[in-house]
Amino acid sequence: MRRVHLCFLWWWLALIAALLDIWPACSDQHASQRGHELFQQNCAMCHEASNLDLKKQPPKLEGLFQRKALPSGAPATDAQVRKTIINGIGTMPSFQGRLSDEDVNNLVEYLHQLN
Amino acid sequence: MGSRKIFGVCLVFACIIAACKHGSRRYQLRGQVLDKNLAKNEITVDHESIPGFMPAMTMPYKVKDPAVVQEVEPGDKIAAEVVVAEGGNDNWLENIRITAKSGRNTTKVPAPPKALAVGERVPNISLINQDGKTIHLDGFKGKALLLTFIYTRCPMPNFCPRLSSQFAKIHEDLAKTPGTYAKTHLLTVSFDPKYDTAPVLRRYGLAYLNNDASGFAQWDFASAAPADLRKLADAFGLVYFEQDNQIAHSMDIVLISPQEKIVKYWATEWTTAELEDALRTEATAKSTRQMARAGGMK
Ligand code: HEC
Repeated sequence: MRRVHLCFLWWWLALIAALLDIWPACSDQHASQRGHELFQQNCAMCHEASNLDLKKQPPKLEGLFQRKALPSGAPATDAQVRKTIINGIGTMPSFQGRLSDEDVNNLVEYLHQLN
Repeated sequence: MGSRKIFGVCLVFACIIAACKHGSRRYQLRGQVLDKNLAKNEITVDHESIPGFMPAMTMPYKVKDPAVVQEVEPGDKIAAEVVVAEGGNDNWLENIRITAKSGRNTTKVPAPPKALAVGERVPNISLINQDGKTIHLDGFKGKALLLTFIYTRCPMPNFCPRLSSQFAKIHEDLAKTPGTYAKTHLLTVSFDPKYDTAPVLRRYGLAYLNNDASGFAQWDFASAAPADLRKLADAFGLVYFEQDNQIAHSMDIVLISPQEKIVKYWATEWTTAELEDALRTEATAKSTRQMARAGGMK
């Protein structure tokens, strides 16, 4: 009886330890993973494609934050890119109402890793 | 002990899955059922605007619970949740509640819109352009009019951005032949009036007009009150549906003669050159009446 109780306790401790261990890695990975998914769904069809039948070809976004400025000349900051996604720029459509603040943050996170 | 072990392992996995999984999104929908399709497990709903998801429109939705499709009847008013799956590739209705059954049998469910036929006259529908000015669909008499439908937030490069890019090319080409240019007009209509207000349309238009506002004289970007947009959609047989968490619509380009009659529709395949040729031909063609008169005077 007592042994069973101890085993039970052990499993709960193992569970908590496992969660504490996994949680941070899991949520970090989650942000960029989510950013990657959002990019594939909302941006890649323009920014990863070529020869689109469009007035202006969308620029490649690799190494966006390593450049001195964004292609438009605006400062290469998180805030500016966030604004671009929400409001659109030139012929790029606005994503207002379609992406949440969290989505936009995940996207910016992902763009930082896109080299 | 054995079952506890399994329970413990399961619990750990359940927590990891819960922590990593990003939830689907839910939006509240209110509207009236117009049709149901038991085979496809779908109902067609004329719904109010769904904030953050799509403007008011009529479109078919998949239903999670097939029993609900049995239960609802055309004419019913419903409240439901639109669930957009993680990734946005799929959506369906859940938690459907019938809020009024009084419309059953008494409500005449409108037949799906029948587009105006070639040769028919365009109706007088009021639109509001990029300057906030009211213009009329039948206000372009004497000019060949090329009309298309977009919404400015449309992100699919093969849809609205492509249509507007093609119109921009046509506009630039026409400007090189001022005689013909003066006899033509381009009209881009948004069916997302809530977001596409006059200032938004103006900014959108300028991006396609190389920032030259004088181009608006020959190319209007307009939207309209929801009731007028509905009339417009019905007149041109536009079908709205929804795909990948975006508003999608049957792409349509309509050529209207200087006599305000429908000349031609394009819905699936066209080229910029083909559109431009047709517009030029229509703009410079003598009207049949003029030709008849000329013939009669001989
Ligand atoms: C319909 C095509 C299209 C889609 C979809 C699209 N973009 Fe763009 N994007 C463009 C075009 C075109 C430009 C260039 C705009 C200009 O300078 O006129 C651009 C520019 C940008 C820029 C550079 C802005 C600057 O200041 O130079 C960033 C950053 C960007 N897009 C990010 C994104 C992200 C992130 C997404 C997805 C959420 C996205 N875009 C979706 C077409 C698109």
